[in-house]
Amino acid sequence: MSSFSVTEPSNGQKWFAGILVVLYALITIMPLAWIMMTGFKTPPDSISYPPKVIFEPSLEGYVNLFTTRTRVGQEALDALPPPETWYEEIVRERDMVIAGPSKFGERFLNSVIIGFGSTFLSIVLGTLAAYAFSRFKIPLADDLLFFILSTRMMPPIAVAIPIFLMYRNLGLSDTHLGMILLYTAVNISLAVWLLKGFIDEIPREYEEAALIDGYTRFQAFYKVVLPQAATGIASTAIFCLIFSWNEYAFAVLLTSGTAQTAPPFIPTIIGVGGLDWPAVAAGATIFLLPVMVFTILLRKHLLRGITFGAVRK
Amino acid sequence: MSQFFTGLMRLKRGPWEMLATILIGLGVFMLMQPFFLWAYTYSFITTLIGTVMFIIVSHFKD
Amino acid sequence: MSDTPLTKAAEATPPTVARKIRGLSDRAIAWIFVGPTIFLLLAINIFPLIWTINLSFTNYRANRTNRAVEYIGTRNYERILNDSDIWLSMQATAHFLIWTIIFQVLIGFTLAWLINRKFKGNDLWTTIIVLPMMLSPAVVGNFWTFLYQPQIGLFNYVIAFFTGADPSSFQMLGSVDLAPWSIVIVDTWMWTPFVMLICLAGLRSIPDYIYEAAEVDRASKLRQFFTITIPMVLPFLMLAVLFRGIENFKMFDLVVQLTGGGPGSTTEVASINLKREAFEKWRTGYASAFAIILFVTVFGLASIYVKALNKVKER
Repeated sequence: MSSFSVTEPSNGQKWFAGILVVLYALITIMPLAWIMMTGFKTPPDSISYPPKVIFEPSLEGYVNLFTTRTRVGQEALDALPPPETWYEEIVRERDMVIAGPSKFGERFLNSVIIGFGSTFLSIVLGTLAAYAFSRFKIPLADDLLFFILSTRMMPPIAVAIPIFLMYRNLGLSDTHLGMILLYTAVNISLAVWLLKGFIDEIPREYEEAALIDGYTRFQAFYKVVLPQAATGIASTAIFCLIFSWNEYAFAVLLTSGTAQTAPPFIPTIIGVGGLDWPAVAAGATIFLLPVMVFTILLRKHLLRGITFGAVRK
Repeated sequence: MSQFFTGLMRLKRGPWEMLATILIGLGVFMLMQPFFLWAYTYSFITTLIGTVMFIIVSHFKD
Repeated sequence: MSDTPLTKAAEATPPTVARKIRGLSDRAIAWIFVGPTIFLLLAINIFPLIWTINLSFTNYRANRTNRAVEYIGTRNYERILNDSDIWLSMQATAHFLIWTIIFQVLIGFTLAWLINRKFKGNDLWTTIIVLPMMLSPAVVGNFWTFLYQPQIGLFNYVIAFFTGADPSSFQMLGSVDLAPWSIVIVDTWMWTPFVMLICLAGLRSIPDYIYEAAEVDRASKLRQFFTITIPMVLPFLMLAVLFRGIENFKMFDLVVQLTGGGPGSTTEVASINLKREAFEKWRTGYASAFAIILFVTVFGLASIYVKALNKVKER
């Protein structure tokens, strides 16, 4: 294309478009930036009016997020030995002592276990199925693929009613295994559709050459196709991980204690005497940051992921 | 328009899918419109017919 | 696949010989590969679905398991489809659905069009704009309740700053008039990038030579926009609209965290109402019928969606 092409926008147009887009980006990023800032405010700063943009950063929100505290009287406080750690010091300033760790760490760990467990399962099952759909003649393949996709579109609350009853009978309610299986079932549709797209793009000739060389189908699959599909598999895995990480409806209905993930837990963080916004913001920041990093890593494949592999570029 | 009807007569996929799509769309509209209770009452059956029809006619030849 | 030389050779080879050479036949491998997925989906999606259909014809209550279950025919469906509360929650869903789609399409398409002006650094800004879309809706809803606080909330402060109103004079989440709009605003903030990305893909799929030909024919820029750009992007836009429509029809997490359906039941969208029936009032049979109604609607929309997907794929 020559630089004088009619489809190349003029410089003025570019500036105009650039300014508007940057403006929108700044507005859109503001709530996120605000929540991250709030995590580093003290509780009084977080609810001050007018909202404080310049403030003295404090880790109180993070300390409050990871600990439970009890208020003690002045005499009892004076009787205590001086604080040994920086976080105890922060808590002491509010006339409180640390009673123990909060449940946030546990909930976060649950999110990690369930997220990675279901991602691993959906990728394993999804890659196999996608390979079969891509390379073999399967009777009613289109109907099966539609059926697989349609399971993802189901309203979670509608699905949760029978799942709730089923899990209650099988003893799977509030267990890691139950949640992993459930999230795998939801994610597998995305995995199959996305991976089918990626595998479709790998030329068949490679495998056929391998088959002629005396490889079995299995060998051709994992020695030839899998390495070629590695980037596709990695980005699909990140999409699955993000979904299980973010999921709320099933988690809030089917878990309450041992297997509860972070999304239903974060909104329940309440401080001593009123909602502790810095702690909530700190929890949200820790929880959302990995997804933001992943989104930036994924930006080339984002469109594919959100359209089930239909729109490639 | 007459092409549409001959398509229907010959069990072509295109026009039948169009008809099913219209039925589903109508059903969804009836379900959520704020005007007539009777339309809301019959919305589900309309969507159901449309959906079942869609599944069947998607197997017709082009 | 049937016309590659290798498969022809495979077909010509007697199956027993082929099996000796290759281990398992392709057909067996296909089923081994697809089997586990189908099994999992049957166990966790289809079996529960059939169970729900069965329950929807009963008066079962999940919190009273020892009570005898009676089949009551289609009475649950008749009651739901004449229930004005559920009809109202459908209208609340419709309000949410229609306005989010209008805003997201308008803003999303405009942004895509602007980004397609290919200014310097557009990749970086696109990535920043996309961020909200990937976040957890429940956590997002939760922190927006903080931004929506009267007096101390950033949202109220910014609106007050530009309009001169008192920031504590309006409550986005607490007032009957504003609450439906507060959920529309957050959903638009979150999902406009989705529509934008798809529109951008549509715009980028239009080959340059079409515009060059139009230029030769001396078609005005405005005319080019309406006769080339819009029709070419339309299939992509359809895809985005259908997908957002389905997602927002079943919207739960974001709204439940923001307003919980309140104040009163002004933002009680279908899924929240369903959750009340199923897990608070424990009318399991009734809720199952409601679930089936939502399910069939989504299934119908999903089949149109897949048709739209295939249309886009052909491009």
